[in-house]
Amino acid sequence: MERKEYDTFILTDPGSIPEDQEVELIVRELTPPDRRYKYRSAYVSAMISKSESKYPDRLWVRLGRGQLQEKPWSIKILKELNKFT
Amino acid sequence: MENYPFYKDNREFIKGLESHGELVTVQQEVDWDLEMGAIVRRVCEKKLPAPYFKKIKDYPGFEALGAPLATYSRLAIAMGMNPKASVPEISDEYVRRTTGNPIQPTLVDRKNAPCKEHILAGKDADLFKLPGPMVHDGDGGRYLATWHFVVARDPDTGAVNWGMYRQMVFDEKTMVGPVLPFSDMGKMFYGKYVPKNKPMPFATVIGCDPLSGVAACAPSPIPEDQFTGMLMGKPVELVKCETCDLEVPAHAEIVIEGEVIPNVWIEEAPFGEYTGYRTSPREPRTVYRIKAITYRNNPIITISNMGVPTDEGQLLRSFSLGLEMRKLLESQGIPITGVYMLPESTHHMVVVGVRPAYSNIATQIANLVFGSKLSPWFHMVIVVDEETDIYNKDDVIHALATKCHPIRGIRKYEHAVGTPLYPFADPDDRKWSRGAQVLFDCTFPLHWPKADLPIKVSFNKVYPKEIQEKVLKNWKNYGFKD
Repeated sequence: MERKEYDTFILTDPGSIPEDQEVELIVRELTPPDRRYKYRSAYVSAMISKSESKYPDRLWVRLGRGQLQEKPWSIKILKELNKFT
Repeated sequence: MENYPFYKDNREFIKGLESHGELVTVQQEVDWDLEMGAIVRRVCEKKLPAPYFKKIKDYPGFEALGAPLATYSRLAIAMGMNPKASVPEISDEYVRRTTGNPIQPTLVDRKNAPCKEHILAGKDADLFKLPGPMVHDGDGGRYLATWHFVVARDPDTGAVNWGMYRQMVFDEKTMVGPVLPFSDMGKMFYGKYVPKNKPMPFATVIGCDPLSGVAACAPSPIPEDQFTGMLMGKPVELVKCETCDLEVPAHAEIVIEGEVIPNVWIEEAPFGEYTGYRTSPREPRTVYRIKAITYRNNPIITISNMGVPTDEGQLLRSFSLGLEMRKLLESQGIPITGVYMLPESTHHMVVVGVRPAYSNIATQIANLVFGSKLSPWFHMVIVVDEETDIYNKDDVIHALATKCHPIRGIRKYEHAVGTPLYPFADPDDRKWSRGAQVLFDCTFPLHWPKADLPIKVSFNKVYPKEIQEKVLKNWKNYGFKD
């Protein structure tokens, strides 16, 4: 199965982001089945790694002003969180 | 009531732009994901005609108009004036129309409101069914609302506010954007709804007639629906919303209805902003949850692309901020000769022309404008005397560089209200909307002996009238073309 791609904005030092433990973050979907939904955001609970291959999907990282980092990380989304109920 | 020529909707305006050579119709399909934004950005930087996109990838049936009011020529067309009208002519006409009695809007039946041709409610009201563009690479999301306005009502006074508050699509039902606490809607929402933990009804209007957009940019104390009527010379036609008691322009292309949610915040930004930078941080901002979307057949969204000058945000905000300052200063009896805010300054710098009738008049001007509700949006005031042409950048720079004393001509104002969008502010000041302001006094002190006053050395000033006339009469004979 083709890897899905997401991105996220990291507002602190990327080096300080914990790996291999459940974290909550906002991701944007970059490869949805219906292209109209590209960049849909969601709060998710996920495992992430700075290794591109550790988890099933690719996670691109942007800094606070949108700067795209060269190497992608990987992510396994555990569940989407609903912040509005 | 004096009727002025005006365009009742976005579609008539598109035809008007086309007839004046201010439109390029793009028949080739364009992608909402960056391509459309890149085209609009280049149009703004090159001051080209507005692009009218007929085919948008993934969104058959939708169209888009970019940079609708990014030039003075297009503003003149919107006001029914000669596209070649000068900035002072457009300014005088705007002040004339908007001084006097406000014109109340009129309510039309929904069957006469094109914006009700399609109604999406419940699960069908999905923001991704609209072609919100990814305007700049690196933006925090798709900004559906870049040239639009948000309608809200004061719960105590019933006063209506239309304001341009950018809105980023978060998910199918959610938009998010900054609502600064000193803005009109910020005062309403954070001052009156949030303390009661009540959601505030809103309606986002996309693709309105051009004068409603001009009114939404204007920092006037007159409610914008009445201000639009003053610009049109007749009442603007409104229609009731589907899910709340707000009213929206009946001829708008798209209306998004919902509620602003108290005590919930979502991260928004970064976004390419009107200052020409991506400055304000990604941080938790105001949340809009939608309930319904209504739109016309083949809706045409409007897109502004904020960035380096000149886009319509810079142009129109400069225009209306400067002219509200003019009204303020005139109302106080200050002997000004004019006010011009330079769009190239991203509405940060205003030039005030004055007859220096008494000492320290520049300080009085700065105190008035910095003390007004207009002040968070600019921070530099240049006061020049009547021999400087306020509309001529070269002339203003010459005055600034030669007449403003580097110490006593510059007065600093600390502890001012600022915005998170100021590129020069340090990160903590941006976070807390703290700013600073400065006056550049380019008038010569009145107490200087007349004999010591420097004399401006220009063609118009230092030659006898008969010599000037002789030279002008013979100019082409000398071999010059112009």
